[in-house]
Amino acid sequence: MKKIICLFLVFTFGLSSCEKDDICDANTPTTPRLVISFYEVKTPSLAKNVTNLKVIGKDQSNGIIFNKSGDSITKYRTSANTISIPLKTNENSVTYSFILDSGNPNPAAINTDVIKFNYTRENVYVSRACGFKTIFQLDPLSLADPVSSPFEQTDPNNDGLWMQRVIVLQPKVDSENETHIKVLF
Amino acid sequence: MKHILKYYFSFCLLFSMFLAQAQETSTKTITKGTTQEKPKTGAAKPEIQEVKKDSIKTDRYGLRVGVDLYKLTRGLYDKDYKGIEVVGDFRLTKKYYIAAELGFEDKTTDDTRLNSTATGTYIKGGFDYNLYENWMDMENLITIGMRGGFSTFSQQLNSYKIYNANPYWGEQPPIVDGQKYTGLTAGWIEVAMGLKAKVFNNVFVGFGVQLKMLVANSKPSGFDNLYIPGFNRTYDGNFGVGFNYTVSYFIPLYKKKTIIPVLTNTKEAPKK
Repeated sequence: MKKIICLFLVFTFGLSSCEKDDICDANTPTTPRLVISFYEVKTPSLAKNVTNLKVIGKDQSNGIIFNKSGDSITKYRTSANTISIPLKTNENSVTYSFILDSGNPNPAAINTDVIKFNYTRENVYVSRACGFKTIFQLDPLSLADPVSSPFEQTDPNNDGLWMQRVIVLQPKVDSENETHIKVLF
Repeated sequence: MKHILKYYFSFCLLFSMFLAQAQETSTKTITKGTTQEKPKTGAAKPEIQEVKKDSIKTDRYGLRVGVDLYKLTRGLYDKDYKGIEVVGDFRLTKKYYIAAELGFEDKTTDDTRLNSTATGTYIKGGFDYNLYENWMDMENLITIGMRGGFSTFSQQLNSYKIYNANPYWGEQPPIVDGQKYTGLTAGWIEVAMGLKAKVFNNVFVGFGVQLKMLVANSKPSGFDNLYIPGFNRTYDGNFGVGFNYTVSYFIPLYKKKTIIPVLTNTKEAPKK
């Protein structure tokens, strides 16, 4: 009997150390971002890096931070072939300006495209510590007649769209493990 | 939760003291045996005569019913909690007691990202084993026991927050939901350690800690059971903890006389 009590005491103290489920683990998949990959327009299977792309949300003063270690200018720029942008969790659309070659001293080289993404939302339970997450479905998406796309692309400066084709690969945005939008340029 | 943890540690400390006590008595019996064998072979006879005089012990058997004061009074200072637990045990043999608890809880859990209310009733049944050797007319208990618990309850998700690791568009305020998940059930087994002391007449005061393991848990689709009445807060694993502070009344039903010569020997041993 004494041994049993010993065992339970150890067990009790051991148990009290298992309290750390109040903090949401960074590795837990929570609200996903929209993953956009860039490809060469002539050979659509070939990934292509963008040059100094800056992405700013509508009515936001700062762009999305792509490079945390950069200074006040370079941290908003990316030259990768894939970017992840957050969607609004309280509205069914989000508008972003995609500024290509944003640091170029020649203003004519800078090209801005605006895309409004339309989607529907669903809030899904994750855990006690993380609460809920929002998953998205790009909507309306229809390949049959009437053809509809879940985004609206505009060219504010009338300098031609640098994103020549925007293709929806995966309309269901529930993880960041796959590319949702493919952009050819 | 911090308070519970605090109590929890103090109980652990308390129980560790009993542990030390238990060890003392057992070592004494061993030393007693060795010392008695060698020098006192002739002196053993008068000892047995003493035993026969004093060791007729009357054990009272009956039903003890009580209430958990912790749950009852918590409702007075914690607006998020209402609860009651009725406890009872019946003495089966000298050491074994059938024990049961019946309760109701209504608890609002306010986590950083979730606010939910669990409401329901539970029943726990099992046995207690008394580890404590009482002196003549004492009726105290230090028990270790097992329980099986079952709860039927409902949960209401009051509000929640969206976790967004990339709050570019700002942190959203909590979303008020109010959806109720009904018809939920959970079952668990627990190991209960307890202490009951007779304070006067037939009134006992006791407290206990329980370590619980969830064996069945019907989770609602799209949500989780964050609090189960009777089981308390759920953790990532299946484990849970509980604690109660009871006041109970013993209703004597019948008496049994027992002769325990070994017991009086151990009592005499420390005097030498």
